[in-house]
This record gives sequence, structure tokens and C-alpha cells, in this order.
Amino acid sequence: MNEVCFKNIDKDQCWSLENYEASGGYSVWRKILKGEYTPEQIINELKTSGLRGRGGAGFPTGLKWSFMPRNAQGQKYIVCNSDEGEPGTCKDRDILRFNPHAVIEGMAIGSFVMNATVGYNYIRGEFMEPFNRFEGALKEAYDAGLLGKNINKSKIDFDLYSHLGAGAYICGEETALLESIEGKKGQPRFKPPFPANVGLFGKPTTINNTESFASVPDIMLNGGQWFADLGVANSGGTKLFSVSGHVAKPANFEVSMGMPFKELLELAGGMRDGAKLKAVIPGGSSTPVLTAEVAMGMTMDYDGIDKVGSMLGAGSVIVMDESTCMVEALTRLAHFYYDESCGQCTPCREGTGWLYRVLKRIMDGKGKADDINLLLGVQEKIQGNTICALGDAAAMPVESFIRCFREEFEYYIEHGKSMVKG
Amino acid sequence: MVEIEIDGQLVNAEPGEMVIAVTDRESISVPRFCYHKKLSISASCRMCLVDVEGAPKPQPACSTPIAEGMKIHTQNEKAVASQKAVMEFLLINHPLDCPICDQGGECELQDVAVEYGSDVSRFSEGKRIVAPSDIGPLIQTDMTRCIHCTRCVRFGNEIAGIMEMGATGRGEELKIEPFLAEGITSELSGNMIDVCPVGALTSKPFRYELRSWQMSSIESIARHDLVGSNLYAQTYKGNVKRVVSGDNDAVNETWISDRDRFSYEGLSHENRLLSPQIKVEGQWKEVEWDVALDFAVKGLNRNILNSRNMAKLGGLASNTATLEELYLMQKLLREMGCENIDHRLNVKNLNNTIHLKSTMALADLEAVDYGLIIGANLRLEQPMINHRLRKAQLSGANITALNVKDFDYNYKVKSNAIAPSEIANTLAGVLKILLDKAQQELPEYLLAVSPNKQTVELANELLEADNSVLILGEHLINNAQASSISNLTAEIAKLTNSTTLNLTATANSIGAQQMGFVPNSTGMNTNEMFEADMCAFLLLDIYPEYDFHHSATALSALSKNDVFVISLNSFSNELVSQYSDVMLPMAAMFETSGTHMNIDGKMQSFSAAVSAPGEAKPVWKILKVLADLLELPGFHYENSAKVMEGISHQSVQSHEHDTSVNLGDRTTLVETIWMHSPYQSDVLLRHADSLSVSKIGQINTASMNASTAKILSLSDKDSYLGVPVEIIETMADQCVFVSSNQATNIGGLK
Amino acid sequence: MISNNAKKQIDSWITKYPQGKQSSAVMEALKAVQAENNNQLSHDLIQAVADYLDMPGIAAAEVATFYENYNHQPVGKHIIRFCHNISCMLNGADDLILHLEAKLGVKTGQITKDGLISVKKVECLGACVGAPMFQIGDQYYENLTTDKIDEIVDGLK
Ligand SMILES: Cc1cc2nc3c(=O)[nH]c(=O)nc-3n(C[C@H](O)[C@H](O)[C@H](O)COP(=O)(O)O)c2cc1C
Ligand code: SF4
Ligand code: FES
Repeated sequence: MNEVCFKNIDKDQCWSLENYEASGGYSVWRKILKGEYTPEQIINELKTSGLRGRGGAGFPTGLKWSFMPRNAQGQKYIVCNSDEGEPGTCKDRDILRFNPHAVIEGMAIGSFVMNATVGYNYIRGEFMEPFNRFEGALKEAYDAGLLGKNINKSKIDFDLYSHLGAGAYICGEETALLESIEGKKGQPRFKPPFPANVGLFGKPTTINNTESFASVPDIMLNGGQWFADLGVANSGGTKLFSVSGHVAKPANFEVSMGMPFKELLELAGGMRDGAKLKAVIPGGSSTPVLTAEVAMGMTMDYDGIDKVGSMLGAGSVIVMDESTCMVEALTRLAHFYYDESCGQCTPCREGTGWLYRVLKRIMDGKGKADDINLLLGVQEKIQGNTICALGDAAAMPVESFIRCFREEFEYYIEHGKSMVKG
Repeated sequence: MVEIEIDGQLVNAEPGEMVIAVTDRESISVPRFCYHKKLSISASCRMCLVDVEGAPKPQPACSTPIAEGMKIHTQNEKAVASQKAVMEFLLINHPLDCPICDQGGECELQDVAVEYGSDVSRFSEGKRIVAPSDIGPLIQTDMTRCIHCTRCVRFGNEIAGIMEMGATGRGEELKIEPFLAEGITSELSGNMIDVCPVGALTSKPFRYELRSWQMSSIESIARHDLVGSNLYAQTYKGNVKRVVSGDNDAVNETWISDRDRFSYEGLSHENRLLSPQIKVEGQWKEVEWDVALDFAVKGLNRNILNSRNMAKLGGLASNTATLEELYLMQKLLREMGCENIDHRLNVKNLNNTIHLKSTMALADLEAVDYGLIIGANLRLEQPMINHRLRKAQLSGANITALNVKDFDYNYKVKSNAIAPSEIANTLAGVLKILLDKAQQELPEYLLAVSPNKQTVELANELLEADNSVLILGEHLINNAQASSISNLTAEIAKLTNSTTLNLTATANSIGAQQMGFVPNSTGMNTNEMFEADMCAFLLLDIYPEYDFHHSATALSALSKNDVFVISLNSFSNELVSQYSDVMLPMAAMFETSGTHMNIDGKMQSFSAAVSAPGEAKPVWKILKVLADLLELPGFHYENSAKVMEGISHQSVQSHEHDTSVNLGDRTTLVETIWMHSPYQSDVLLRHADSLSVSKIGQINTASMNASTAKILSLSDKDSYLGVPVEIIETMADQCVFVSSNQATNIGGLK
Repeated sequence: MISNNAKKQIDSWITKYPQGKQSSAVMEALKAVQAENNNQLSHDLIQAVADYLDMPGIAAAEVATFYENYNHQPVGKHIIRFCHNISCMLNGADDLILHLEAKLGVKTGQITKDGLISVKKVECLGACVGAPMFQIGDQYYENLTTDKIDEIVDGLK
């Protein structure tokens, strides 16, 4: 497919300004600089496009942008979330590596819409290659007079910087990310107030995912309706899916929303070594796991995955074959949330550790008959009671793994060993 | 105002205020740990979750703003399920050994757990243990008990103004700890004990002493500074065991300084004077009260009364005395015909004093947009006044300081290191600019003054402000131009519509002034008494090596053979026993009822929390009996409250002040300001052991810059006037600032 | 305590943030200082960074202990950060880690005798379609096999 974020991916040096501009890049931004767009037009186009946030929550981007008090006095900020840390997710890394200018232009367009003259791209600390690519692109854009103050005498200012993380999944949560840019621990803020009113350095701020921003220039270039038509109802456009796990050719695929999972699996070369599909996590480690039958029947769009009881999330498809021990897989995920909880709020700080310890004990062969109920009880007590969604993210896999594969847990507890691996 | 519904009850509330503020006001109980009404919201403990109709998830009451038409349930199934869940999470890693915890019985966690916790914990994974850390002599930590509410961290950040505690690590490893090896050093640190809901931070001096329910809490008033902070003395079997803060928004809000919190430790010090003593043929003898008082009266008769030589009697009192004590003592002396009365002990020249009126109420200090501090290290000298000014600064006020040293302010202060001898000149320069601007005539003394960059700046700052305050501090009391500074300040205040605060005399000095504890026109002041040929003294809680500016002169005057000295003291003291003829043990703070008058002129009365140790008696009783024995009329008081009734009729004599201004220049090569370090400012504090080993208690330095040190041929290994030299570049040139925790260097200071 | 070179790096980060918000640069400042001090932060270094950025020491310490990429214990000259999260696990990361440990003669968390290499298990590094993978320095190594690991490790100096 490769029609939006990855449209140049097959070109040599696809990340260069030259290549980007050759396919229409920065023409929208140049029009804006010439005064050919109003913010309202852009917001309407985005609303038509059906673009929903690619960071995981799927909030309509046009609507989000319309919330910013663009005429309020004082500084406003636009922030890109390239923290990408959710297990299974690795698409933003490739956007930064292969199409950094789309992110820059998307943010520039957003800065105009929301009257935010300064932007930051928060890139996870380990992404040094993507960071260097992005910095290179920034330099190209500045040198080409596309960024800075009073750009092309348009009276429009936009300065864009990158900020590097230092290893904390929670900084992907948007308010934790803001704290992190402010030089603090990445602890999520409670809401209200929302970032659109009190954001970075206390100023109105809009935060979007890398892929969301990178989709904007083409939406404006080809029209919102074009983008909407690439996808299906309620899920406009194409989407990057990171397909990993037990597939023959794991990779990032840009495909139309609504593609049947079956086809996506084929794109990824099918199951590795012809193994049998056992389970799929469709949207990243936080989204509920699905059994093979259910997964094979779903389509890859917001409603399609919602219907079968999970979420599209960030489009991170983790494929597991029959050799997978679900107790082990869940324990690994539980460890992740336990490790990454910021520690601020009680249910998450204490609950993630509790979940992990119980699972670890089961893995150590010391499971107790009541442990399944205990796990279900603890995850339920975390859900809905935390400051940010990490608590829910830690809880949902527990519920779904046990719901879908209960017998494996019972077996492990009873026999002290894995039903699958022995 | 909008109408909302809480638990089915209609309630009025302000849109935007937090739900918990409304439930608190309506006495609807919502459990909480991280919320504290004087701290920022953190919404992290999640204990206060309530059900708001229409919201899919339970909402924290502490951070959910009120909106029109809201329907809130604090106790329905959804709310209680969340609250119970949080409680269970809090308890899994919390020790369940309340019986051995120091917070037992007054623990917010324990209280809520009783209500919400399920009896059996399902947690069997092994509890988290956090290694203890030593954070100083005042606060005991037991961090395994910490529930990460971050109240202490926010307190440090927001109220104490120095971030000392932090939450390091993350997740389960999140750990509340200070970064610096010296631990917690703030002058307000003890409040962390009060804000900590559990037994993680407790009072170190109080450690393992008792359970809260074994103690009685008695309201009292602190007397170490000009604020009169409200507090509770918690007592057990006649001893003060702990002090915690009281609530009074007009005075100390809900905070108290460490000085006010831990001074009680001095009460049980072995140096307390416990029995009446008389000196017979140079030997001290413990005697009964009646013998001692009889001895005192006889001495007075012999030395003064028989010869009707009242001009040869002097009465001096410490400014930590209560209003009643000061009133009675001056009444007693005046009834005897004596006018030599004074409480101003540490002033070099009593004809040259600061006499500025304070015209600003404490709480209003928060609203100023400009403050000029002259001669004060407010943070350590008047911590609660500093706290108010800090609030003003945080909400945008500009604060400028004219101090001999750039002190460690805990908010943004434009600091100008200035020699004491330049203050009057600087103020004169400012006044001249202001008068010029107002096109008013210049007085003689300003003609020769020429404005400079600094005076122009100060004048502009003042003119730009709408609500400014001028603050004079303790460092000015012995300034060579004290009176001129006072007059100049008053003039500047008039021209700029500024309010003023006079913080030069602290503790209960304002009360002493009001009670007439100063000589009238025919009487002698402290310094004059020591120069005169006196025959007898009545001294109230005086310790010469600390209290007098002219301590050497004082000592020799008091020690003369034919001078009869009656000393009322709370602590025994070598020098006191050298010069006294009678020593009468008196009740100290917390041991007597009385009244303190604060900077606002607010009179706050308190009752005794405990009785005095040994034979010691409340001063008002001692003075009353003494008066009776002297057959003086008008001392029929049954208690201190009765004394107070008399006081309300006391007419305050207003003193004429010299309004002239003399602008002198530096007369000595090096100028010295001598201050007691903050935890040495009165006798009780000097005996509070934990305070004195704290970082602030250890301050004992003569600060000077390198060039001054060179002039004095000193290095940082030497001492100056007996105090270790500290070479620091934030000092005004040719100046020394001594902050000492030792006795005034007798004879050394002239 | 902070080298001129590190100061230069820190200063250039500071320019990205509004006036007075120099503490936004703390994460990069800590990294710069750590890189010059055997990949490890000490109490004094943290304080020095805090002083340089005019922030309380404890605030810098909070940051230094919150984020994963700061080391407070000795580490090797090269740190092999081996992802062991779900996608890598499904692709055999656990066995590869055992292989690596055997090859180096150390357990995760330990340093080779020559001080050259230490191994650390880390959470998802965002390269799941290249699983199994690890990171050394700024470099990602993906689609690892035992042979590939041997080759990479043998090339470390
Ligand atoms: C624990 C947690 C981690 C998250 N990590 C990321 C992330 O790595 N990248 C991202 O774009 N969004 C992440 N999000 C979602 C963001 O909070 C936010 O919704 C998103 O950046 C908004 O952008 P969008 O509207 O374009 O999706 C995370 C959320 C949570 C709760
Ligand atoms: S020590 Fe006390 S006040 Fe501080 S975070 Fe822990 S429980 Fe809260
Ligand atoms: S009191 Fe509301 S979350 Fe702690």
C-alpha cells in the first residue's frame, strides 16, 4: 500500500528533503506560509479525513486540534510523541528514519492551526539513529528556510526541537512526557486541567503521535475525503501495523484500515515454519489478547477490533503460535508494567508488583488454587482507579489472558509446570 | 455559586473548587492521604475516589472541580469499592505492627484502615522493607511505613522553600529521601512530622516516649518570636512531651517553626533552677520560699527602702516574659517609687533606637507587591513572617534586601550587600529622590546627599509598587544611625504609601513596651543603670553573658559588693549566682499561664500546660507575694487572668522620639554586627538539646570576605571575637557578621 | 566536575528551552556527564549537574534514578542492553541471553573481568519487527542469532 507515511520508502535516501519535496512535500506548508489556508479549513479537512490518533487512544485528531485555545494570549506548544515504548510497537522509529520531513511538516501545519510557535519532538532516548535522522531533517528544513522566525516573511514563526528521553515507558503518556520535557521525572499529571489548557511549561499544548503528524501533510495534499476513502467508516486512511512474533516476515506494513487480519498475516509471510496460530495481541501489549479463531475473523480497524473485544491501540500486532506458553507470556508482560510503573499512584505502584509476583510464583511452581481469582481481583482493583492508563494497560492483559487461556493457568498452578512447554 | 448534590443532599459550592473542599466544609467524610489543604494537589494516593454520575471511572475528590449540576456519591457501591481497593493496595506493603509504631493511635492510615480494610490480607508475597536513613536530629524516619503520599516532599518544595526531600526511583522502588548527607535542615522541617499521615516521619526527640492517647493536648502560644504561633503542648504526667502545630490562619496558618516545636526540650534540662536560694556569707543555701522572700524583702529594706533611695533600685526583665509578668513587675517597682525599668538589654545606645511603628497585619503581608528588607535574616529570625513574605514573592512581589550579607533566602530576593554605616545614607538618597519627584522641599540634612544608581533603583522600585512594605530587622538595633534609619523609613513610607514592619525587637517586646516596661522621663534605662551607682536590682530571667550588649559593664555593676540582687530565673547560671543575693526559681514557657502580644498587637492568652518543676513558681505569683510582703497596695490577684483584667486599663505612654536625622559615615575600619544564632536567642532554646545539634543550631561563624579578613589579618582557621571565621564573598566590604551560638564575648564587644 | 566539552553539550541543549527553563536539559546533562565518567553517575556528579542547571540536588537525583539509562553502579565500557520483552522473547531472546552469558562468562548485571562488557536485560526497545535484538551504545543490532552475537561481541574493543 505505502500511500501515506511510507510512500517514499522504496526510494534511495528516502528521508532526504529532496525526495520529500519531489512527492509534494512541504507544498502545503508553503501554501500556509503564503496565506492560502485558514486554520478552520485545515481542521475541517482533518475532520473529514477521519484521522484518529495513532498513539493508541484513537482520538480524532481534527477534534483535538479544535480544542486548542488558538487565540489565547501567550505561548502555546505543539509536541510530537515519539517515545514509542509499548511492547510490540516500532513504527514511529521507521517514520523518523525514513520519512522525518512528514513529521516536521505535520507539526508545522499543526503549529499554524493552533498558533503554537514552538514545537518539541520527544524521541525515546534509545532511538539515536532516528534522532540523528530527525535532527538532520530539521537542519535541512531550517536551511531551506522552512522553519524559524518570520518564515519567508510570512510573519509565521515555528521553531522545532527534539528532546531525548532516557528510558521510561511511562513518558509515552502525554502528560508524563510534558513533565519529562520540563526536566522532571515522567510522572503523569492528573486531569483536569488538560494539556490544551495547561500543558508544557504551564501553557496550552497539543500532543500527537508521530504517525498522526506524519499523516497530516498528505491529508492536506490530497484532501480529507481521499484519506477517508483509503480506509473504512470510522477508521479513515492507512495505518502502520508492526507485525512481530511468530511470523515468517515480521515488518512494518502500511495498509488500508479495515484490512482483514488474515491478509495482514499473509503480508507478513504467514506463520513461521507453518506453525499454527494460537493467539494475537492486536494493538500492543496493553490491548487484550485474542484467540486464533477470533483473530482470524477480525478486520484491522478501530471498530473491527473493538467488536472482537480488543483494541487497535498503536497497531502493534504480536502473533503467537502454538509453542507459546501463555503463562510465561503474561508473566513477561506483567514484569514490564511492574518495571515501568512510575510509582506515583497507589493502585499501579502496588498492584503491578502484586500481579507480577503472583505470576512469578506460579512460574516458580508455587501457584495456589486461589491465585487465578486473586489475579482477576487485583487487576480489577487497578482498573479505573489510577491517574493514567498504565494501570489499565497492566490490568487488561491479565484479564484477557486468563479469560482466553484459563486452562493453561490452571494447569501451571496444579502441576507446577507449563502445559505447553512441559 | 452552583447547586450540586452530594449523597443525595443539596449543597451550594463554587464552580471550580475541588469536591473535597466542599465535602470537608459540609462535614461529609471522604478518606484521603495525599491531600492537604495547604499543599498543592497531587491526586496520587487515590484514596478519595468518589462516584460522580456520568463519569465512567471513579473520580478523586481532591482534584475534581465542581461543576453545575454535579451528582456525587461518596459512599455508594462504586465509591466504596474503589476506596477499599486503594486501602488494600496501601496495606500490602505497609507493616501491620501499629502497636510498636510511633504513630500508633494518631495514624491516618490506621484510622482509615479500621473503616475500610478487610481483615485478612490476601497478600502473601513478602513486604517491602526500606532501609532507614538518618535525616538529622529532629525527624525520625521509618520509611518502610511511608505510603508515598509526597506531602513531605511538597511541604519542602512549597512551604519550606527548599526542596530537600524527594521521591527517587520509580515504581515500587520509589523512595522518599533527602539527597544531602546532612539530611533535612529547613527551619520549618518539623512540619513534615505533622503532615506525614503515617509513622514514616516522627519526632526524634519524642521517639518511643508515649502513645498519643496517653497525652493531653493543651493549646498554647509560642514566645520565641513576634508571631506567637498557635500550638499544642502535649503533656504526660506533668511534662511536655511533644509540641505540634495549631491552626490559626491569621497567625501561623498551620505551620510552626522548629524553634517553636522543639524548644520544650529545654524544660527538662538538668540546669533548671529548682529551689529558692539565698546567699549567706558568700555561701548559697537552699531555703523555703518564705525564707527566701523574707530575705529578699530584708535586703531591699536594708539597701533601698529604709533610706528611701528608690533611684538606686533597678528592674530588668527578659522580653520572653509574659505580659502579665511584665505588667506586675513594673507595677511593683513603680509602687515602690522606682522608675528605673527596662527590658531593652542588648542595645548599645538606648538614646539611638529604632522606634518605627508596625502598620501591617501579618496576613496582609502575603498581598504586598514590593518588600524592602533592611537588616534582617528573616528566614531564621522570623520564620513565619518570612513565610508570608515568601508567599507574596511567589505570587509576583519583588523583594529587595539591604543586608550586610547575602543570606540564603528561600525565595527570589534582590540582594545588596551593604555596610551598616551606608544604610542611612542610602535611605536618605532614596528619600531625596522621592521628595524631588513629589516636588517637596528638602530638609537640611538631604541637601548634601547625592543619589546614586542604587538609590535611584530603590526609589523606582518603591514608586512602581502599589502595596509595598518596609521591614526593619534585628541587625539594626545597634546600628550607629538606628534612630535616623527609623525616621528615614517613616518618611519614605509616608511618601510612598508603604506599610512598615518593625522587627527589631522580638519575642514579647511589643508587649513589654505596651506594659510600660521602659523608664519614664525620670527613670534610667538599662545602660544608664549600669553606669550609675546602684544599690539593688530586681532581675527577671536574665543571663548576663547572653542578654546584655554591655555585658562586661553589666557584670561589674551587678557584682559590686554593696548591690543587693534579687534574681528570678528559670535556669541556673554561674554568673547569676556570682552576683545575686537571692535566686528565685520561676516557671518557664508552658509552665505558666499568660499572654503574648504579637506583631499585629494581637493578645493571645494561654494557660499553663504543666506545672513548674521543683519549687519553681509562676512569676506572677512570686511577684504578687513579694508585693504583699512589701505591703504594696493593689496586688490582690487570684490568678493571671485577673492580672489581665488590670492590664486592659493600662494606659500606654507614648514616648517622644528624636525625629532628627544624622547621616554619619563609617567610623571604624571594620564594622561588626553581632547576633545570637537563631536557636540561641533565649534561655529555653539554649537548653533544647536537639535543636542545638541541628544544622541551624550549630551556626557559629564570623562571616567576612577575603579582603576584610586580610585587613584583620585573619584566615578561616582563626576566630574573631572568639567565633570561628568564615570567609565568604557575599559579605559587604569591611564588615563582619557574627552569628554565634556561644555567649557574647564578654568585654570583647564595646 | 563537569568537563568543558560536556558543558558545551549541555549549553547547546539549554538553548532549546525557554529562558529560565534550563532544567529541561537535565536529562541530557546527566547523560553527557555520565558518558565522561565510566558510564556512571555519582552523588557528586548529580549535584554538579544540579548546580550547573540551578536546580535542587534532589530534583536532579529524582531524574537520575527515575530513568533507566543512568547507571549508579559500575558497568562495562560497553553495555549490551538485551531486550527480553514479548516479541524478542517469542523469538528466542532468553536462549540468546544464556548464550551471551556463557560466552562472556558473566551473568546479566555483571561486568567481564577486563571491564569491557556488561550485560543488562531491558524492556522493549521499539524494534520488535527486528526481534531478537540488543543495543550497544547508540547502535541497534537486530535479527540476532548466536553467530551474529559472537561476531558482534568479538568486535568490541
Ligand atoms: C502508559 C502509556 C504509554 C503511552 N505511550 C505512547 C507512546 O509511546 N507513543 C504515543 O504516541 N502515545 C503513547 N501513549 C498515548 C498518549 O498518551 C497520547 O494519547 C498520544 O500521544 C496522543 O497522540 P494521538 O492522539 O496522535 O494518538 C501512551 C499512553 C499511556 C497511558
Ligand atoms: S514520609 Fe510520610 S509524608 Fe512523606 S511521602 Fe511518606 S507517608 Fe507521605
Ligand atoms: S487525597 Fe485525593 S488522591 Fe490522594
